[in-house]
Amino acid sequence: MTAIGSSGLRARTRAGMRYLLPFVLIPALVALSVTVFGDRMYLAISFLIAALAVLLFLIGIEQKNLGARRMVLVAVMTALTVIGRFIPFFKPVTALTVIAALYLGAESGFLVGALSALLSNFYFGQGPWTPFQMLSWGLIGLVAGYLSRPLLRHRALLLMYGVLSGAVFSLIMDVWTVIWYSGSFSWGLYLAAAVSALPYTLLYAVSNLVFLLVLGRPFGEKLSRIKKKYGI
Amino acid sequence: MKRYRDYNPIAVAANMLAAALVAMFSMDPVILAVALTGGIIASLTCASMRKRDHLFALGLFVALVVINPIFSHNGATVLFIMNDSPVTLEATLYGVSAAMMLVSVLYWFRAFTAVMTSDRLLYLFSRLSPRVSLVLSMALRTVPMLRERWQKIEQAQRALGLYRDGNLIDRVRGILRIFSILVTWMLENGVITADSMDARCYGTHRRTSYALFEFGCSDAAVLGLSTGLAALTLWGLSGTDFQYYPTVSYTGSAVTIIGYIAYSGLCLLPGIIELWEGIRWNGYRSTR
Repeated sequence: MTAIGSSGLRARTRAGMRYLLPFVLIPALVALSVTVFGDRMYLAISFLIAALAVLLFLIGIEQKNLGARRMVLVAVMTALTVIGRFIPFFKPVTALTVIAALYLGAESGFLVGALSALLSNFYFGQGPWTPFQMLSWGLIGLVAGYLSRPLLRHRALLLMYGVLSGAVFSLIMDVWTVIWYSGSFSWGLYLAAAVSALPYTLLYAVSNLVFLLVLGRPFGEKLSRIKKKYGI
Repeated sequence: MKRYRDYNPIAVAANMLAAALVAMFSMDPVILAVALTGGIIASLTCASMRKRDHLFALGLFVALVVINPIFSHNGATVLFIMNDSPVTLEATLYGVSAAMMLVSVLYWFRAFTAVMTSDRLLYLFSRLSPRVSLVLSMALRTVPMLRERWQKIEQAQRALGLYRDGNLIDRVRGILRIFSILVTWMLENGVITADSMDARCYGTHRRTSYALFEFGCSDAAVLGLSTGLAALTLWGLSGTDFQYYPTVSYTGSAVTIIGYIAYSGLCLLPGIIELWEGIRWNGYRSTR
């Protein structure tokens, strides 16, 4: 039987980690990669930094009690997003993450993005790229949550955010592609990767646009109705 | 009978992640060859690999070996000139090392995914962060539930005569209606679940986990062995330096051998455990 308490030593360790991670561990890793390893360890360092960054956000969410109702709604949205990733070519992952973030808050958006990347990779293949996907989708959700007010007021802005986040996601994953295949980072290779991934970038942007257009209103209605009905 | 995957998830994760991380940090060909061998053995004994997966790994390996000397012209020893640019020995060797690293990491992650099933991962997560792991486990449960309920709604709609696949527009509208009903149902149901959790004092007490993963002496042994061997590996390799450019140069000492041996132990641990249990299993089995 494992005892999991939200108080006591574990909580204090988590609180400490919140400061240790961004101010000590991650800078130390970057410094280590520059001084000791030269330019050879991009893959491992970037993997560790992405994993630690995801951990940092999760610890932040852990400390902020979201409440049981919101957590269950996040779980449902995550499951829908995982299912959505099975649609060929047009993936509603980003759109659903953004919708969840708009109506349930920034932290929920991060959770939906990051956890659906983790869960769907059980079907699509887990690998060193998992932390990268978790981080990029999670951040798209987080930023959407912080911008929820203007995004909800102006539909055009929301659609623009969808297109932009598709492009940004693709560009972040291109960084990963370059590091994964060449072991180091160079702008020439990055440009080549970005150009060769252009069809995918367009596909991401278009599918975000389409899914935000199609799903945005109905999902918004349902989520705000639930929020109003149960007072979340 | 205790197979590798039956050990406590903490011990197993420590072993596999240590093996994969050392491989990701190293450009030493000996370490990478050991990592590749260990990864292949681990994924053969723990994961169900198809022929296609091995062919993909082989293809990736060959492609990476070929690509590096074409794009990278560093290195002093020119093998031959292709399209007015030199193909060097050093770049080829670097390509082999990089390919070994990527393919070995791929194999280790494959074995990791096979051994670390979702309940084990939840066990690990629940120690790091109970709330997030709760969301994760609920989402995992919801995925098959969505499919079940989709079928239920579809049957009900069909019985009502509302859902016909006569023409395309009708079908799309029917599917959208089912989807809408499904989402509403799941969300409402989620709130009810949450209320039920609150009524049972969720969050006020310690959480227990469904799957019991005991932490016994053998788990402690695997965990201790993994961390000890990883530390030995790092200590042994700290003095070495393997440079590919401009010429292959290598500085190592007698300590490096200890690092190599320790890393071999770390990588072969899954295979050794599986082999030992196989021998024991066959020894216990009656031959008559």
